Amino acid sequence: MRISKTWSIILFLPFLICFTLFLIVPFVYGLYISFHQWSIFGGNGGFVGLDNYVSILTPGNVYSNAFYNGLKNTLIFVAISVVPLVVISLALALVVDSIPDKLKVFYRTVFFISYAVSVTAVSAIFKWLFTGNGGYVNNVMNTFGLGTPNWLNDQPLAWIAILIATVWWTIGFNMILFINALDEVDQNLYEAAGLDGANWWQRFSYITFPSIKGVFVFLTIITVIASFNLYGQTLLITAGGPAQSTTSLIMVIQQVVFNQNNLGMASAMSMLMGFVMVLIVAAQYFYTFRKD
Amino acid sequence: MKNFLLYLAIISVLILSGCGGGSGSGETADGKIELTFINGFTGGDGDYMKKITNGFNESQDKYVIKESQEKDHYTKFKTGNYDLVMIHTDLLETFKQDGMIQDISSLMETAGISPDDFHPVAKEQVTFDDGVFALPLDIHPMTMFYNKKLAPEAPQTYEDFAKLTTTLQQQDPNLFATGVPSAGLGEWFIMTVAAQNGINMVEDNHVNFSQEELADALMIYHDMIFKDKISPQGLGLDGEFQAFMKQVDEGGSAVQTATALTGPWYYQAVKEAYGDDLGIASVPVIAEQPGVYGAGHTLALPSSVTDEERMAGLAEFLKYMYTPENLINWADSGQAPTHIPTMELVEADPEKYPLSAQNIKQFESFEGAPKLYQYREQVRYVVENVYPKVVGDANITKETLMSELKKATEQAKQVAETAPQ
Repeated sequence: MRISKTWSIILFLPFLICFTLFLIVPFVYGLYISFHQWSIFGGNGGFVGLDNYVSILTPGNVYSNAFYNGLKNTLIFVAISVVPLVVISLALALVVDSIPDKLKVFYRTVFFISYAVSVTAVSAIFKWLFTGNGGYVNNVMNTFGLGTPNWLNDQPLAWIAILIATVWWTIGFNMILFINALDEVDQNLYEAAGLDGANWWQRFSYITFPSIKGVFVFLTIITVIASFNLYGQTLLITAGGPAQSTTSLIMVIQQVVFNQNNLGMASAMSMLMGFVMVLIVAAQYFYTFRKD
Repeated sequence: MKNFLLYLAIISVLILSGCGGGSGSGETADGKIELTFINGFTGGDGDYMKKITNGFNESQDKYVIKESQEKDHYTKFKTGNYDLVMIHTDLLETFKQDGMIQDISSLMETAGISPDDFHPVAKEQVTFDDGVFALPLDIHPMTMFYNKKLAPEAPQTYEDFAKLTTTLQQQDPNLFATGVPSAGLGEWFIMTVAAQNGINMVEDNHVNFSQEELADALMIYHDMIFKDKISPQGLGLDGEFQAFMKQVDEGGSAVQTATALTGPWYYQAVKEAYGDDLGIASVPVIAEQPGVYGAGHTLALPSSVTDEERMAGLAEFLKYMYTPENLINWADSGQAPTHIPTMELVEADPEKYPLSAQNIKQFESFEGAPKLYQYREQVRYVVENVYPKVVGDANITKETLMSELKKATEQAKQVAETAPQ
């Protein structure tokens, strides 16, 4: 069927309008605001050039302290979360893919359903589980004589608790994409490999992984972006503590906007955050591209 | 192509019209003028405020109050359009300097309310050099709840806490006199001990933490945990309340406290848990003199409200609300009203309003937040970084603490400098 040019444009239009309204316009407007002294209530207080950026990037002042601390914490979370979020979801996808078809739908739903839970509910559950004073995890550990760590008030335990909550919450999304990719792998290759006597690891290394590599790279990139957007879990489970060690960059930006009313500074922080994300994602992309 | 462009224009208008922000205020279907009131009363007290606004709406044929109770009501207020807003006392200076609220004196006059109708502490909180910027509603100081089964008498001094700990520890090593949390009410713990030591926390336009006396005062909490074992270690976020609500099982991992120095908003929860075994008392003197910190709710007039008709409606509402028989609903929720005629009703029946009556007694030693621009941001570093070290690091020294307090003061100074010129 051939779609006319007009229909193509009409079908494409909703995306174009939304993309422009919700991405291009806010981005350009945000960039404009970042060069101004701008109060959320008082509006534009005048052009300040690069002053907001200079304040953020010059160490020692209140904005740079908050920004660098938030960036450091966010990078820590990205570093510790991306591997488990990708590897565990791949492992789950391989397990679910290998079980009989009748059970596949059931387990796919079971593992995906946590993704449908709101961050508020997830955080409430995990806060209760990891509470140091009589939380469920500590009660179980105490029963087996394993001590009662202060999960939410000591590091690195606070990060571990947030990581476990995040993995449980979001693993289903990555897993579904991996399962879809695994469904596309040519079964004839496995049959041929079986005839050649290939074991599980050889089949995975030489057939499965190369076939799903595109999805793997894509998921790694979107997981990095998702981890950069850490906000709800740290806000609700640890409130950014202990000692601001889980205060993410988005929490800092939110505080600058809604507590300090400083939209100009917060916009500059957002631009810098976006720049760091682009650098990391571009590095990932070019590394993969160069290797190929 | 012409039709196509027309469709494009219609779609764009439809989408853009959906992007319009703000709550907006107007008229109801039956011609009443709708006035929007936003607050953060999402706890047990919300129902009692609803009782007041519903009562007003039923009494009216000209105005109607549309009340929004939102958890994050400040964000909504800043990005929306409202006629009346609840603001905590510690934020009034910031909201005033940022031009978000206006002098409410003329509205009060129309409503027949005078600043002298309020307790002097409350009056002082809303009165500025350039006018009165809010109507006081209540003061919620730090409160002490105690479990009568574990503590038959309310502790009144540090020594009482120490004695209670000795008694409880003989019963069970998981029982403690009280809980010092590392996060949540940190600001209240810091400022309460500062008030009890008579420390002036303000220098010029910022909070001055860099004082030897404050370091000594904060070390009291350190000693309560690590030296005298009055509080368990590592209680974490809102730990003073969580530990009070725990029931210790033999061999369990939980610790329980006999008292909680906490916020009055937990009243409904503790009442439900303890019933007749719940005791309510003033905060003990753990330092030199009586003193207690806390905050208060006020009602402020957004700068955007200028229409005379709306002002008249708001005056009607305030007149209704600040009638003692109506405002007493607020005391019923556990809050302590600062409106003197309503306070008198509470004091006349302390059995019916136990928490409210107890907290009114604390007004005399109450120390509110200083009137500083971005006060909450000024105290952020000390609350989130310094205080957790005091109550979490067994080996912290006064030298280390002083160096952190200097850093906190420097940050407070920088935040103060961001004030509009």
